[in-house]
Amino acid sequence: MKAKHILPAVFVTPAMAILAVLALVPTVYAIVISFQDRELSRPDGQFIGLVNYLSLFSDRRFINAIQVSLTWEVLTVGLTLLIAIGLGILLFECATPKTRNILSLLFLVPVILPRVSAAFVWKFAFHPLYGIITYPYKAITGQPLDLLSNPLTALATVALVDVWQWGLFFSVIVLKLLETLPPQPFEAARLDHARTWEVYAYVALPMLKAPLISLAFVKMIESLRAFDLIYVMTRGGPGISTETLDMYAFSQGFIESGRISYASSMAVLMMIATSVAFTFLWKRARI
Amino acid sequence: MIIKSLVSSIAIACAVFGAAIPAAHAAECSGTIRVLAQPRDGLTLLEQYKDEFTKLSGGADFQIDYLNENDRRAKTKADASTIGKYNVYYIDEANVALFASSGWVAPLLDYYPKDYDYADFDPGRQKVATYDGKVWFAPLTGGGDLMVYRKDLLEAAGIQPPKTLDEYVAAVEKLNQPDKGIYGTALRGQRGSGANVWRWMPFFKGFGGSWFDGKTPAFDSEAAVKATETYLRIFKSSAPGSQTGGWDEAVGAFTSGQVAMLIESTPLVGMALDKKSSQVADKIGYLPPPTPLTGGGYGHGLAIGTKANADDAAKQCAGLFIGWATSKENEQRRLDEGQFSELNRTSVMTSDKFAELYGPDLGQALADTGKVTAVNFWQSPQWPDLGDRWGIILEELITGTRTDVKEGLDELDGFAKDLVARSQ
Repeated sequence: MKAKHILPAVFVTPAMAILAVLALVPTVYAIVISFQDRELSRPDGQFIGLVNYLSLFSDRRFINAIQVSLTWEVLTVGLTLLIAIGLGILLFECATPKTRNILSLLFLVPVILPRVSAAFVWKFAFHPLYGIITYPYKAITGQPLDLLSNPLTALATVALVDVWQWGLFFSVIVLKLLETLPPQPFEAARLDHARTWEVYAYVALPMLKAPLISLAFVKMIESLRAFDLIYVMTRGGPGISTETLDMYAFSQGFIESGRISYASSMAVLMMIATSVAFTFLWKRARI
Repeated sequence: MIIKSLVSSIAIACAVFGAAIPAAHAAECSGTIRVLAQPRDGLTLLEQYKDEFTKLSGGADFQIDYLNENDRRAKTKADASTIGKYNVYYIDEANVALFASSGWVAPLLDYYPKDYDYADFDPGRQKVATYDGKVWFAPLTGGGDLMVYRKDLLEAAGIQPPKTLDEYVAAVEKLNQPDKGIYGTALRGQRGSGANVWRWMPFFKGFGGSWFDGKTPAFDSEAAVKATETYLRIFKSSAPGSQTGGWDEAVGAFTSGQVAMLIESTPLVGMALDKKSSQVADKIGYLPPPTPLTGGGYGHGLAIGTKANADDAAKQCAGLFIGWATSKENEQRRLDEGQFSELNRTSVMTSDKFAELYGPDLGQALADTGKVTAVNFWQSPQWPDLGDRWGIILEELITGTRTDVKEGLDELDGFAKDLVARSQ
């Protein structure tokens, strides 16, 4: 009986110890220095209480970064799931098994591409003078189309690249999920004269609620880590219109100021906000 | 830690022979000298001669890690302030004050072998490598600004190459013909002290602006408003993509034949004259920037890291590497390869070979622009912080998310006061 209790601890302890070193130490360190005034150019720092946190709320770039991050989350998660479900159903309904397999393979390619490479390729494709995407518009209207320099379209344009990478990948997952469903509920619905969209809206998708919610959570976490994509494509510009929270924190810590304490206070707030939001959403989802 | 001890311990003999290095280049360095740099043709060429350095140093090797400009700046700052694993850092005019005042780099001339003749570097480049009376890096690139123009387009429009800013603005606006695929100019809109702010500063300085009066911000002035309004006016004739683009976008638009004239850093000329990468190689002319614009004096180069080179012996080895990398011999190799932007030494730029390759006009233009080249930025460790903040505001003005120039300058003024207070 005693051995039964000890064995799990024996197996778990090394993993927990590694996790503690890799995750806990930097997290605690970040929390500690967020209460200091440390800068990269000054190795010593003094405790200044909540000054960094209070300063954040009068910092227009921080407020803007919260808005941009929220917009980015809603835009990328929403569009990715929409495209994934739409394409998944389309493949399930219209394609033969062989075509499905070929298309599934193709749809996996974007997500396999390194994010930075994809960002460079798309940045060039959107270039107003040489870009292949903007060329038809220029050819028809005679005017260049500069989507990444326009504050109204820049974030959506970068989001499109994110959705291209993840929407296609998720559509393959949705397709495979649909293939695992039993055929009887579909047949019963069709016998009751349900239209195709009704079969999916009232039968298939409710049956897939749990995995779809899991996919949404995976994408929400992934979208929070879109720094590389946005950094390469816009560097947070034009102005600060695509500057997300992680990008602003990095900027304050390492690019512009070297204010690592100030940057840490942002990171700590992000950690708290995401933990609270995800816990709330997870409980609300009630899978 | 391992690298530190590797370089320093293996280089103990350098301490003994350190004083002899400048005279004979006879050193006993070994291990690997780690360099953090940004991509430069000159450094890539250097890697072909690794054996030469190994022989010269008595057994040391070198390894160069490359990152693009903005990432290189962030990474050098992070590395130098924390673990310090690089023996040699690639730094530039914008952060030399920060690196020097933070003690992240060592005074170069204490360890730069005298035989390599530091005084031979272009005086402008020596000036930007100097902070607080000491030299901190050996130049790999640098210079000032030139106005580069398409002779064919100016002749067709009946326009003489402009000598004054008013003439320049009028010419740019007249030559801007988007319907024909030709744009008047290409500016830099991308935020950053080394990007849009760099191109804006000649207007600011040219109109008599100054950054600080002692510790009091002095830039929120008529000169800054006029400079910004002029910059925004010229931007209306700037090529698409330049609104959030930097050097690469501006140069790319010009060398692909879509821009009539622009004022850019001197390496542009070498790229525009290179038939392998330029479609306008036979059509360009160059002059100093129109008055009253000042040229943006700049310089990038190699500096000795203090953390990875814990003792004098290691610093001597890093100094030897920098001396060799920036030597006349290696610069001559760059000239032979046609790497115009990698040339920094007076002896090379006034050589017969240089005149033969680039013609006497370019030599004259470089000499003329040297007279108006100035240090336009605020020489302070806080400069990157202030410059980058103005870069964001300027990009907002360029892309229309902000319209009030004075309000932007007022915001920067408040930021500068806070910056000064924090530094005290």
